[in-house]
Amino acid sequence: MKYLLLVIGLAISAQNADGCSPAKDSTRIAVGGGSITEILYFLGVEKKIVALDITSNYPPKAKSLPSIGYVRNLSAEGILSLRPTLILGEDDIGPSEVVSQIKSMGIDLVVIEEEHSADGIVKKIQCIAKIIDKKSVAKEIIDQQLIPTIKRLEIQAKKVNARQTSIMFILSMQGGSPIVAGKNVSADGLITMIGGTNSPGNFSGWKPVSTEAIITASPEVILISARGLSGFGSIEELKLHPALKFTPAVKNQKIFVMDGMEMLGFGPRTLDAALSLAEKISL
Amino acid sequence: MFTNTLGYTKQSLILFLLIILAVFSAIVASTNGSFEVSVVNLIRGSATDLQSLVIMQIRLPRVILSALVGASLGLSGAALQGLFRNPLADPGLIGVSAGAALGAAIVIIISPAFLIDSSIGPFLLPLAGISGAAGVIFFLYLLTKGFGHQGVTYMLLVGIAVNAIAGVAIGILTYISSDAELRTLTFWTMGSFGGVTWNLLTPAIVVILGAMLYMAPAYRALDLVQLGEVEAYRLGVDVKGLKYRVIMSAAAAVGASVALSGMIGFVGLVVPHVARMLGGVSHRYLLPASATLGAALMISADMLARMVVQPAELPIGLITSAIGSPFFLWLIFRMKQNVY
Amino acid sequence: MSIKSEAVDVSINHVKLLQQLSVELLPGEVVALVGPNGAGKSTLLRVLAGDITPTRGNVFYERQNIANLCILQRAHYRSVMSQSQPMIYDYSVRDIVSMGWLHGDNEVHENTLELALQKTIKKCNIDHLGNRRFNTLSGGEQKRVHFARALLQLWLPDSSSKHRYLLLDEPLANLDMTHEISMLGVIKQCAEEGIGVLIVLHDLNLAAKFADKIVLCDQGKVVSQGTPEQVFDSEVLTSVYGVTITLSQNPLTISYY
Repeated sequence: MKYLLLVIGLAISAQNADGCSPAKDSTRIAVGGGSITEILYFLGVEKKIVALDITSNYPPKAKSLPSIGYVRNLSAEGILSLRPTLILGEDDIGPSEVVSQIKSMGIDLVVIEEEHSADGIVKKIQCIAKIIDKKSVAKEIIDQQLIPTIKRLEIQAKKVNARQTSIMFILSMQGGSPIVAGKNVSADGLITMIGGTNSPGNFSGWKPVSTEAIITASPEVILISARGLSGFGSIEELKLHPALKFTPAVKNQKIFVMDGMEMLGFGPRTLDAALSLAEKISL
Repeated sequence: MFTNTLGYTKQSLILFLLIILAVFSAIVASTNGSFEVSVVNLIRGSATDLQSLVIMQIRLPRVILSALVGASLGLSGAALQGLFRNPLADPGLIGVSAGAALGAAIVIIISPAFLIDSSIGPFLLPLAGISGAAGVIFFLYLLTKGFGHQGVTYMLLVGIAVNAIAGVAIGILTYISSDAELRTLTFWTMGSFGGVTWNLLTPAIVVILGAMLYMAPAYRALDLVQLGEVEAYRLGVDVKGLKYRVIMSAAAAVGASVALSGMIGFVGLVVPHVARMLGGVSHRYLLPASATLGAALMISADMLARMVVQPAELPIGLITSAIGSPFFLWLIFRMKQNVY
Repeated sequence: MSIKSEAVDVSINHVKLLQQLSVELLPGEVVALVGPNGAGKSTLLRVLAGDITPTRGNVFYERQNIANLCILQRAHYRSVMSQSQPMIYDYSVRDIVSMGWLHGDNEVHENTLELALQKTIKKCNIDHLGNRRFNTLSGGEQKRVHFARALLQLWLPDSSSKHRYLLLDEPLANLDMTHEISMLGVIKQCAEEGIGVLIVLHDLNLAAKFADKIVLCDQGKVVSQGTPEQVFDSEVLTSVYGVTITLSQNPLTISYY
């Protein structure tokens, strides 16, 4: 009997060892991260949300909920005043002292792991579902809605990949040089999902890139966030920018604009965004 | 030094009122916040665990830290304005804030994860800040041959150069930083009292209070040095010792403050001027008045920071700059009229 | 017992400002330091004050080498008045004079500072300035306030027999005639009370009239020292000043035009 209990205990703890253990009480959730909010709505449990951060702008009706401000600069007392029973955040939740303070008050705070791939999105949804005890709901929705999308994405991505399409992701155009995605950031993951190659891709992080480097890299496709574009001007003005004028992307009209969170949030929408982009690119 | 008994009484009165103001702000700040707690319940012992935790572990350390930081910035500002005989002097001028910022930037961007997660993790940033500030002061000391006879103008110039160098270093670190590190650094430079725990606070209390106490007896020498360094010497003031005392204690107090709460501008500049307008220029009054007023101001500013956009929080540097900059402008206009 | 310099040399950046200068100031006498511009008068005063350490030679306060006296101890022997800086902050007249008080907050009787202050202010004829803001005073008025401060620094209880010295670098510049005479009167009074006064002067006639001793300097050296009658010689003066100078006696008057 003792032995059986031990085995069961080990089995259970093995299951929970992935950091997505079910929360004691998930009736009032404070969210720090747009993709998490998206996922909670996706799973149909939006009524549990009592507050969210400023990146949680989808769906639009979410914006009417109380805001905890910028997720990297939280206020301990502020969050606690909303009496959450569970706090879900992405890995940039902070500052770390405030996170420790909140945890030391006995409030459940879980940091959801992030992987910038289709698989990562599914894992994220499964993890959150496990925490709030909606595993079966999640399985159903994933099988019915996401898996088909992923399959179609794989097909499109193969087409894009066959042509070894180079894609450059621009975050913003302010301050002269465009700020471009390098390796190991969310946009890099998006580009991989679409089946393209990151251009220029010879650095890490988000960095300003010079005109010459862009001309040398010669990207065939340019992706830019809506906010990044609006901070600069119109697409026509973008095409005339000296750094971009001579790229194949501009010449062949392969510039695509989309909402930043949609593309880079790595919630369910990102799968649709990747698919839509892959389809347009492989035309 | 106060032979005009009427003046003495007025200054004592103003000082007394400022102390009342500071205590009052501390009480209001401790009993108000986004989390609803009734202090009466707390005292009676009928508050919930979470309620008393919020007051004792979140709010109280914050109020104390903001009071300490405000006091040290106000006091250091007054002492430096006196030492440098420059009404625009500010703790940032001697490069202390830049040094502390550089130390913090190095830790934020370069230190390996294992160090941050270890038990000295929470102390890394304050330690780095104080080391940075101390490093700058040491550098200043070497360049001026031990705060020697070149006079304060030379020191100011060296301070400006140090600020510039620290700025370049921080710029380079910023460039090589990752996205997350960059955001952390940015918020740190805007200042915040959030996340303060008793662990961090206790050493800070010792350092800051110690530094302020070390600075305090310099009040008479600071008056005498207004006549000029040579005149002060002739009146028996050890000017080199005075420079050492004021700069070292300013560095320690401001370095610790900046390390814990980030860069908070304008307080050191503005508070001494308000104190002068209220009660006069004599340092026996001015030093404690600036400390007290600084504390009251900072406690109130922090309260604003955490209540104006609740449940979110504004960086406190924003609030002090928002109030400080127009005041600074007004100060300049007033100086032009030579009221000083 | 005196303040004196012995064979003092001062060189700054290889420029010899003073050479082999020996000068002594005794209690109760007024010594005038005169000479053309650049003669080294101010430098000598600063050496005696202890501001500058001589390259060679020594300075003694009451037979103690000042190198062995700490800054505060020196302040108890002598006070100095020279060109002053503008006050950045808005101190009152009383504040400025009080800065001369060396005896801290531990006073023998509660009112010691107050009494000393009243006496000094009255002596220097500045009590009509009341408690005005120092920065609102005229140049001459400010000078008189600094003079009062220098006097207050020399204050000792009546029981004390310590010697004190007053060093003045052109205290009469910017003063109108009335105040010039008045300040010289106070200076004379100080000497009568036993204070040794060294005063750098431009006006040779005032020096002749008010000083007990003259020290005539030129190019960093002492040309001659002694009573006005001994030092003021028309040939010597003409060669030192480079201008034709004539003397007349009873009273001793120096003319250069």
